[in-house]
Amino acid sequence: MQIPPTDSICELTFPTAPADAVPVSASGIECKVMSLFEEFRSPLLRYVISFGVPAHDAEEVTQEVFLSLFRHLQLRRSQENLRGWIFRVAHNLALKRRYANDRSRGAEASDWKIAEGQSDPSPNPEEQLAFTQRQRRLLAVLRALPEADQCCLRLRAEGLRYREIAQVLDVSLGAVSISLTRSLAKLIRADGV
Amino acid sequence: MDREEGHLSDQELLLAAEGDLQTRLSAQVRAHLAGCSICRARMAEIEETIADFARAYRQTPEPKLSSIDGPRALLRAQLADLAGKSDVGSWRRFFQFTAAMRVAVYVCVALFLAAVAGKIVVQRSALRAENPAVVAIEPWAIPDRSLTPGATRRVTINEVCSMAHEEVIREVPVLLRQQVFREYGIVNARAKDYEVDYLITPGLGGADDIRNLWPEPYTSTAWNARVKDTLEERLHEMVCAGQLDLSTAQRDIATDWIAAYKKYFHTDGPLADLSNVAVLVDKNYAVLARVHFSRRGDTRPALHSGSARLLVDVPQSEWLTSNSAMRFRPVARSGTPFELRSKLCVGSNFKDGSVDGIQIETIYAPAENAGASNVS
Repeated sequence: MQIPPTDSICELTFPTAPADAVPVSASGIECKVMSLFEEFRSPLLRYVISFGVPAHDAEEVTQEVFLSLFRHLQLRRSQENLRGWIFRVAHNLALKRRYANDRSRGAEASDWKIAEGQSDPSPNPEEQLAFTQRQRRLLAVLRALPEADQCCLRLRAEGLRYREIAQVLDVSLGAVSISLTRSLAKLIRADGV
Repeated sequence: MDREEGHLSDQELLLAAEGDLQTRLSAQVRAHLAGCSICRARMAEIEETIADFARAYRQTPEPKLSSIDGPRALLRAQLADLAGKSDVGSWRRFFQFTAAMRVAVYVCVALFLAAVAGKIVVQRSALRAENPAVVAIEPWAIPDRSLTPGATRRVTINEVCSMAHEEVIREVPVLLRQQVFREYGIVNARAKDYEVDYLITPGLGGADDIRNLWPEPYTSTAWNARVKDTLEERLHEMVCAGQLDLSTAQRDIATDWIAAYKKYFHTDGPLADLSNVAVLVDKNYAVLARVHFSRRGDTRPALHSGSARLLVDVPQSEWLTSNSAMRFRPVARSGTPFELRSKLCVGSNFKDGSVDGIQIETIYAPAENAGASNVS
């Protein structure tokens, strides 16, 4: 059974009155958080797993992110660029989990294993083979990049703008553009262009 | 490519594509692009590469991601718990189960209790073995104060508390980490053995300064990085709750974090960590549980701070919907039992060995397709 879309029923209005005068509706915040969970769970899982965090731990990290988001909204903190906020908290928690997790070594090649295990919906075998080979090439380049460059590229692939990437990684906009320029040059070279 | 004579650099093209160039520069870039086919082609190439990479990247892991249904139900339950909605009626819901459900839940809880109790026995033994009175504190469990006296940045209480502790966890740059290892004379350090940690955590106003960093061992000592993490979270909570002033927290953790741990957790040793308790059950639940620990003489069990989460993925195809009050019903599967994972951190109630009872209150996550009205 399909879940009804939640966007249309979320009410998350922060009154202009003093912060302690009118409580923010908890149900409105829950609704907003669930809506963002629907939208960002998969990208966040991909991103957290990319740090070598096992999938079940990544799921827990993702849950923690949205519980933090709930508290963040409940305390009426900034709602500006929540996508960047979500990825930033996920980035920090993923690093923390990786440091704390002795098992992280075994999951380093997750992209590769996943790529090998999946089939592509391309219409014919030749196209599918070509796509898979190219995908492997691109992912091989990705894995060979320094971690900071990998993060930039992964976040870009998830659709984050450069300013958001800078916020997530706590670096300057210039550093993000330099990193992406460097990575793209390698991707283009690997692609034989 | 770098900027060539008369052409735009890749960096300028990237920023232009994003609309992140300053207005004046953006106009110049647009004007150049309008008249330069080489730069237009390069820009198209860059954009195509980004798009292709994004497509390859985003298509890759999807098939391996688990269904959203279980995590969604779990998050919804935890949010309800946070919002204080689940406090009322959970036991009432328990007794609204069908007879078969009650049996299933009793089995689950009994197994869980058995697993927890067994673990406690093991843990108690371990705690005795790890008694800090008899186990020497290994090198660098406490930093060398001449190398790591601690350093703070100028910060207000509002800044410290404006973000949750987990928002201010920072990664120590690689070069700085290497410098720390060199200072401490550690060669060939393995990442999994040490956390190059802030003595005064950034969440308490600690500075990004080598005088505030040391290689803290994860392993081989009762007083390790994970134990210190719990102290940092505790101090952050206390400071932001107004129970402790920031400068005291900074001074205590910098002077002797182990003594601070003992002081603020009212304990002589690291608290037991019952992480990764495994429970075998023959039913499939998405469930949030609160664990109550009671001590002899207690008139009522104490609720352990925080909830124990039993995280289990429930494939939606295996849910049964029914007309019962509890529409989210478990379905026995062939090939069971399977494992529920649980992460529990047991508080000081266990330290003196006087625990004589555990109660588990279960709060079931409503299924998305069940309608929450019957389980509120």
